[in-house]
Amino acid sequence: MKIIKSKGPEIFDIELEKDLLAKNRALAKENRKKLDRSKIIAIDIMGSIGSGKTSLIKALLKKLNMGEAIGVIAGDLTTTIDAERIEEEGARVIQVNTGKECHLDANLIHQAINGMRLDGVKILLIENVGNLICPGEFPLGAHKRVVVTSVTEGPYMIVKHPYIFKEADVIVLNKIDLAKAMKVNPYQLEKDARKINPHAPFIKVNALSGKGIPQVIHALGFIS
Amino acid sequence: MHEFSIASEIVRNVLDVAEKNSARKILSIRLDIGELSLINVEQVAHWVQALFKGTMAEGAEVKIKTIKAAVQCQSCGYKGRNIPDSRDIVQHFAAFICPKCGSPGVKIEKGRECMLRKIQAER
Ligand SMILES: Nc1nc2c(ncn2[C@@H]2O[C@H](COP(=O)(O)OP(=O)(O)OP(=O)(O)O)[C@@H](O)[C@H]2O)c(=O)[nH]1
Ligand SMILES: [Mg+2]
Ligand SMILES: [Zn+2]
Repeated sequence: MKIIKSKGPEIFDIELEKDLLAKNRALAKENRKKLDRSKIIAIDIMGSIGSGKTSLIKALLKKLNMGEAIGVIAGDLTTTIDAERIEEEGARVIQVNTGKECHLDANLIHQAINGMRLDGVKILLIENVGNLICPGEFPLGAHKRVVVTSVTEGPYMIVKHPYIFKEADVIVLNKIDLAKAMKVNPYQLEKDARKINPHAPFIKVNALSGKGIPQVIHALGFIS
Repeated sequence: MHEFSIASEIVRNVLDVAEKNSARKILSIRLDIGELSLINVEQVAHWVQALFKGTMAEGAEVKIKTIKAAVQCQSCGYKGRNIPDSRDIVQHFAAFICPKCGSPGVKIEKGRECMLRKIQAER
């Protein structure tokens, strides 16, 4: 009698070093190249929900007064409200809905800049989805990253979300008009920011009145 | 919820590599995730397992190794890890300040990883 032993399944290990965020970073680099070729300076505007990202963009558009030479990519989960608010200022706006995602990523920006008329555009402002965590992990390829926080978020925003503030090129503390009412000391927030990021200008802003907007424009390297 | 996009990227890679290696079934995968990355590991594991359903990786174990932070001070050369063992991201603030000289110029050398490191499969 001959016994045929079935060879059991072979178990094996595959070792790899696959960086899961590398694909986004590579696409971000491509975006940057395309922007540079088109001589466009792109600004990624991040910040918590309701911190005043759209209001800041509207104030920048008003002050810069460049019409369609400024393009805006308005990232939002599902609505077009912000895109419409921005369009009122005469900028060229494209809406990007992220659906369930809590951040824009380089691929969405890639699609947006390929689907947008860029002739004559000199500045591209990108409103990221309101969130202080996720956008930090997904660079878009913008030249500068602005983080908008506001006094109405309380005194601990920077201590609680150090990474995004560490990576910022410009930090905007918005709704400065409400600081007293909120019992928030703007100078303490500034100190916290300095501790982890001494290089980024820290600008106190009232996006509704326009206070601090010239300083933001200067920090971004633009001339108004 | 960037955990879902990260999980999708993991699943895409796992199935792709497994197929190229003629695997029939995936038993486990291992990820390295840095403690300074802003990634919720339970959520990643949850989404990976959900996305594995109906594929050759259904039921595979998701092992996650936490990579401890290592920073180097650009001012005084201090090398080390300046935070307690904690999953609380508020602790991260301290990681970005040199404990020796107080400089904010620390470079993060480790602790930001998000990597697929190993797939155990059957063929
Ligand atoms: N008092 C005061 N209110 C402000 C200021 N800036 C914005 N707001 C108000 O804050 C609210 C939210 O502002 P938005 O500009 O929509 O904030 P956002 O960050 O774009 O919000 P999302 O896109 O929904 O995350 C609005 O009611 C604004 O009028 C400010 O400087 N002072
Ligand atoms: Mg908005
Ligand atoms: Zn030091």
